[in-house]
Amino acid sequence: MGEAITYLEAIRQGLWEEMERDDRVFMLGEDIGVYGGAFKVTKGFLEKFGQDRIIDTPIAESGIVGAAIGASLMGMRPVAEMQFIDFIACAFNQITNFAAKSRWRYGAGVPIVIRGPSGGGVRGGPFHSQNPEMYYVHTPGLKVVAPGTTYDAKGLIKAAIRDEDPVIYLEHKYLYRLPRIKEVLPEEDYIVPIGKAALRREGRDISLITYGAMQLHCMDAAASLEKEGISAEVLDLRTLLPLDADAIEATTRKTGKVLIVHEDTRTGGIAGEITALINERAFEYLDGPVRRITSPDAPVPYSAPLEDYFLPNATKVLQAARELLSY
Amino acid sequence: MPRTSRSAVKKQTKRGKPAGDSHSRRPADSLPASAQTPAQLLDFYYYLKLNRMVEERLSALYRQGKVQGGLYSSKGQEGISVGSAFALAPQDVLAPMIRNLGAMLVRGVKPVEFFLQYMQKEGSPCKGRDTSLHFGGIDRGFVPPISHLGTLIPVLSGVALAGRMLGKNLVALTYIGDGATSTGDFHEGLALASVKRLPLVVIIENNRWAYSTPVAAQSLLSDLADKARAYGIPQGVVDGNDVLAVHEATARAVDLARRGQGPVLLEAKTMRMRGHSEHDDASYVPEEEKQFWEKRDPILLYEKHLLSSEAASQADLSRIESECAARIDADLAIAEAAGGPRPESCVEDVYAPTQGAVERPGEETLRLVRRS
Amino acid sequence: MKVEVIMPQMGESIQEGTVVKWLKKPGEKVKRDEPILEISTDKVDAEIPSPAAGVLSEIKIGEGKTVEIKTVLGTIDTEGQAGAAASGPAETGSSASAGPASDSGGPTPGEDAEKRAAKPAAASPRSPEPARPVASAAPKPSALPGTLEERIRTRSSPLVRRMAKEANVDIATLQGSGISGRVTKNDFLSHVQGAGPRATASSPAPASAPAIAFKPGERTKVEPLAVMRRKISEHMVASKRTSAHVHSFFEVDYTAVDRIRREKKEAFLERHGVKLTYLPFILQATVEALKAFPVMNASVDGDNLIYKKDINLGVAVALDWGLIVPVIKNAEERNLAGLAKATVDLAERARVKKLLPEEVQGGTFTITNPGVFGSLFGTPIINQPQLAILGVGTIEKRLKVLDEAIAIRTMGYLSIGFDHRIIDGAVADQFMSLVKKTLESFDPRLV
Repeated sequence: MGEAITYLEAIRQGLWEEMERDDRVFMLGEDIGVYGGAFKVTKGFLEKFGQDRIIDTPIAESGIVGAAIGASLMGMRPVAEMQFIDFIACAFNQITNFAAKSRWRYGAGVPIVIRGPSGGGVRGGPFHSQNPEMYYVHTPGLKVVAPGTTYDAKGLIKAAIRDEDPVIYLEHKYLYRLPRIKEVLPEEDYIVPIGKAALRREGRDISLITYGAMQLHCMDAAASLEKEGISAEVLDLRTLLPLDADAIEATTRKTGKVLIVHEDTRTGGIAGEITALINERAFEYLDGPVRRITSPDAPVPYSAPLEDYFLPNATKVLQAARELLSY
Repeated sequence: MPRTSRSAVKKQTKRGKPAGDSHSRRPADSLPASAQTPAQLLDFYYYLKLNRMVEERLSALYRQGKVQGGLYSSKGQEGISVGSAFALAPQDVLAPMIRNLGAMLVRGVKPVEFFLQYMQKEGSPCKGRDTSLHFGGIDRGFVPPISHLGTLIPVLSGVALAGRMLGKNLVALTYIGDGATSTGDFHEGLALASVKRLPLVVIIENNRWAYSTPVAAQSLLSDLADKARAYGIPQGVVDGNDVLAVHEATARAVDLARRGQGPVLLEAKTMRMRGHSEHDDASYVPEEEKQFWEKRDPILLYEKHLLSSEAASQADLSRIESECAARIDADLAIAEAAGGPRPESCVEDVYAPTQGAVERPGEETLRLVRRS
Repeated sequence: MKVEVIMPQMGESIQEGTVVKWLKKPGEKVKRDEPILEISTDKVDAEIPSPAAGVLSEIKIGEGKTVEIKTVLGTIDTEGQAGAAASGPAETGSSASAGPASDSGGPTPGEDAEKRAAKPAAASPRSPEPARPVASAAPKPSALPGTLEERIRTRSSPLVRRMAKEANVDIATLQGSGISGRVTKNDFLSHVQGAGPRATASSPAPASAPAIAFKPGERTKVEPLAVMRRKISEHMVASKRTSAHVHSFFEVDYTAVDRIRREKKEAFLERHGVKLTYLPFILQATVEALKAFPVMNASVDGDNLIYKKDINLGVAVALDWGLIVPVIKNAEERNLAGLAKATVDLAERARVKKLLPEEVQGGTFTITNPGVFGSLFGTPIINQPQLAILGVGTIEKRLKVLDEAIAIRTMGYLSIGFDHRIIDGAVADQFMSLVKKTLESFDPRLV
């Protein structure tokens, strides 16, 4: 190998390899076959795997997810695409009431993956830029993952497909082709375990807890802080449900100062949940309040000046970090 | 496809004898619709009676405080559940709705399971977690419903799709009420199933009432089966209170679906004889309507048919009723003797016991980023 | 067998129902599932089928009454004979009552009176005066300061508060470099590592070494040994010649003990008249361990090992003119207060030479205190004919790593000198382990 690939290519590879490895894996969604997917994630798949396994569907998200559920009950491993993750709302009922509860109520696992591009920063407007994770993080029985690196994108799609429970896999469209995060990936098969956070950077003075595209901003902020002699730790959650509570506790104990950064809107965002967790498990180790940098409580705006104001960035993170450090 | 109303059934001149032990009746394999053997004719009667009597007992238990929550009856609609379930092959998958207890009985569920479930006992199929008929796994050929209506249509489409991918030659069959044909999932499921020609049969049980909403307030169509035209799929209408007609119509629909000409939308006309649920006295249903349909009770009609065609004697019918009663008494005793489920079990089984994805040995779980 | 007829819940939100009409009379036979009464609820009127076959023996709730769901309405006697009825309706009439019906039969008037009579006695049992809550003896937290700045400055953060509490430092007395003058974690750690007075086990004033009066021109001064000094000298050497001395060292976390001391010292002083130092805790722990490992309390005579039932603890006292070891007889019979008082009493009388002969004899185990002058740990010589001796090193605050985080703990070494002729390392170490464990998890209720 040796060549650095994009985040999108990593997802593509992950899907391709799982389709080759396991006959039970198949994909369904809108425009994924002939067109190769709205973002070309599934380009070439139809030619390779055939229309029995790469299924173009009518516009019917609830129907797509329901069919995935039914197929998984029969032992298949479907991967359902939501063309933009914003449209997952149309399938909310099937996901939260059928898929999430089947195992608990009568013992049948539903090993489906629902994947799609989430997040803003591309001037997509309110219906093409959402981060809907918390509706699903709030539903016991589901798993929710959000890779922020190329390595994790491949490892997590594989882990999601192999998982016995329904997994919502949130890709970030801003990261799809970003040159900065291109990586050379291992040749051999690997997965990234669901439920385990990753330390992107070790530090002593402050912890930045984050996921998705925001971990880039945190890494930038940490680099700036280092020039000022401050050692910042960056924890990439990678999985939102189940949260890696041990990792969150460990970093809190280590530094005593925690700043949570997520692109999702403020109220009901996962920063609140993490703060409660820290309160429960590591209150006595806090040397300052837990702070958060998030998008404000409004839909994602379309135009550039509005969206740039709306989204978190490295400058906002740096400022909040400095305030917390001087507490 | 021509509409089928009451089908003629070949008259049987000899009296039938029940086949085998009445407690382990098996449904007929897919035979041509009209060729029921005498034994099978009596099997229909057994399951119709068992359906009726189990539900009557559940109703009594509800009013004795031993069943709580919601209880839904299929009184008057037993012909649809029983007739259709008999038309399936062993490898076919059935998704019952709450008024299809009879279909579950035909496909092997025992009354004791319903009693354990409704009486919230240890050993109930859902471990006390979900209500009513929401149980039964794919290994027994079921997909149990959730309370949200319409959702089974896309799910069974997926079952049909997977069955085809796995080469199982199966048909997926489910029911839907007249009211639920208004849901988005009914439409989305059939939209998907139709363009993929999935082996799916959907039986609309038009019992004229969705809670207190009459069917005329649900749709302008007289025959809900006409919705099939929106998908370009075969349709049929059948008298839901004629168990043999239902059986024949379903068998034809299943056959079409199995041969790749599905999905098929079959409407069975019937009447909901009790309230929406046990606590509803259905006082909004006009009296004349009730009386009209009481005369058309499916079990009453079938008894008349069996006796007049001499396929059974009164003694046969009485004997079958006694068998049902004995079965119910025995199963109820088991359920009553069972204890309650562990309260703390309510938080178990939310996830699979082990992770689906196994870590490679030596895999780092905390990995520092590499910059290119 | 009696089977109850209960008011069912006819719908998920229904909470009560009304008995409209009983279809059977008491004494009448009923079949299973035969309609036995009619009820009415908000949603529906319904007939209730009998839960069992038998005789309706009793109607508890009469027609027209509204009761909560699950109320017992009547009873079926499965073995009853037609015509036999236990009682008529307990309550009839149209007044609604919301309470559940009483048990069948109900308490007889006599029982009732007994129950009522029993109540007042149960309500106020004679109990000993509860011990004064310890919290009142502890220093009260200051009332929350007024402004935000003041709060930040005096209360800092949970982490700093915790560290300050363990180090017994008042945050308000420290300089802070954080916002509003907040004492940060780093500020606190710097302070602790810079300063640090050591706590000691007991605190006699260290004796100052007397100056030697050399005669002018003399380079040496000859001083004959005092009797006591000669005796000590002989004893020490003899002990070394007799016993195979081995020493083992343990570090003990006295933080828990320290906490108890600080919480209870005022009450203790008031009640017992002596200060609560570390020593009685150590004595108590030693007594417990000696009970568990009796060989440490024994002595050797020729080829015989002699176990002693009495635990007579010798507590070494440093005097201006030498060393003396008064003995607390039967320490196993004393509680912590008793040990404290005995120690203080013996030490005082030792200093004024008022000890009785038997008070310096018969010891089975000795404790000495090199830490009082700052020694970390000692290698004391066994007090013959005993087999072991415990040395208490200085007790001070040290930085420790606990649960992956830095903590300030009160620590001190204990050394055990033991006679390896008789006692093996494993036994001595297990003994010490128990002493350590007892001290580290000392039960405050023993004080």
